[in-house]
Amino acid sequence: MAKQRIHITINEEDHDLLVNPNITLLDFIRYELGLTGTKEGCDEGDCGACTVIMDGKVVTSCLVLAVEADGSRITTIEGVQTGKDLHPIQQAFVDSGAVQCGFCTPGMVLTTKALLDENPDPSEADIKHYLEGNLCRCTGYTKIVEAVHRVALALK
Amino acid sequence: MKSFDYLKPDSMDEALKVLKTHEHCFALAGGTDLLVAMKSDTVKTKCLVDLKAIPCIDVIEYDDGFNIGSMATVREIEMSPLIREKLPALSEAAATLGSIQIRNRATIGGNLCHGSPAADMATILMAMDGEVRIASADGERRVKLEQFFTGPGSTAVEPGEILAGIHIPKEMQDYKGVYLKHGPRWAMDIGIVNIGILLDADFVSGLCHRVMIAMGAVGPTPLRAFKAEAMLNGNNLTPELIAQASGVASKEARPITDFRASAEYRKAMVASLVSKGLRQILDTGSDC
Repeated sequence: MAKQRIHITINEEDHDLLVNPNITLLDFIRYELGLTGTKEGCDEGDCGACTVIMDGKVVTSCLVLAVEADGSRITTIEGVQTGKDLHPIQQAFVDSGAVQCGFCTPGMVLTTKALLDENPDPSEADIKHYLEGNLCRCTGYTKIVEAVHRVALALK
Repeated sequence: MKSFDYLKPDSMDEALKVLKTHEHCFALAGGTDLLVAMKSDTVKTKCLVDLKAIPCIDVIEYDDGFNIGSMATVREIEMSPLIREKLPALSEAAATLGSIQIRNRATIGGNLCHGSPAADMATILMAMDGEVRIASADGERRVKLEQFFTGPGSTAVEPGEILAGIHIPKEMQDYKGVYLKHGPRWAMDIGIVNIGILLDADFVSGLCHRVMIAMGAVGPTPLRAFKAEAMLNGNNLTPELIAQASGVASKEARPITDFRASAEYRKAMVASLVSKGLRQILDTGSDC
């Protein structure tokens, strides 16, 4: 198995590294770069805990090889806030009580970001459809949907 | 995941050459099914050939019909203005697949080549009389979707070949279509029964010119309900005839019992959904 050189921009920082082809983007982010905000849940694309934004689109990073991400721009949860201030989406999750154990939260926040970038004024049905790949076992989703509504209004 | 080599050829010719010369080689499309199978070691491979750098393999265009490249993502099909306007049932079926994260990666070609009897794209494309283009070193051949699936997890694509694209006849834009996916939850699951119907009818008199009914998850492959279609073609779509044809479609289904549902339940749902789908098209068709 030959290592491959990849060039990847993560949270505006460029990385030029050799990787094994069998390393997923998720493992690359967590173990090569030490960015542990991206979570591993099911490791088969069902739960959305490992969601990152890749070239403007949300993907489950457990189902992307690091070599496939060569040349792309990635945003992880660490790249969402600016300085010490939480991003308005993160703040809305806190204010709405949409965070309990927190394991799904990074993925929820990133999927919300992609949704609002595409559609700044989503209906409740739009929110539920867009977030359907992010599973939460604590909140029952009500507070999460509320948080997305709250931040959509605030950002208008 | 076990170790493997990774190649990313930048032309179809090069990709075909690599697949032919390397042993135990798999083509990589979106990876949303393949990587899961590799992690669990149900697929063993020494080499992945990533198709994403092949030019024009992800087009969604119209010329002598609709041409969709095999590497078009399911999300691109869901959102394409062309597909939304001309083949809305295909866009609606795309929206039911997986989650947005999966649809952003999963491709229409990958969904077909995975060969699942429950594949969302397979059922609706079969109802649209779709045909695939399969490329090999010797050229390209076309295969109707009814002949494409050869069993659970297997298709007409031979080793050394690549699914290049899907062709949908142009008259499908004049048909009215529906895709019904039946299951306990809408997201992140495959259907217990999927039904795709395309209908060309006189919506004033109710005369059916031509109908195509495809059924997913009720046999070893997605199936066309040819006998039910023959009953409807050329006849008035009365409630009695719809009920009769739905019963025939249910008999044509060959489902198994598994953890999702029993065979009997699946058969009952085929009858129910075919009838519901036809009535739904007639209701919306008569509005315009």
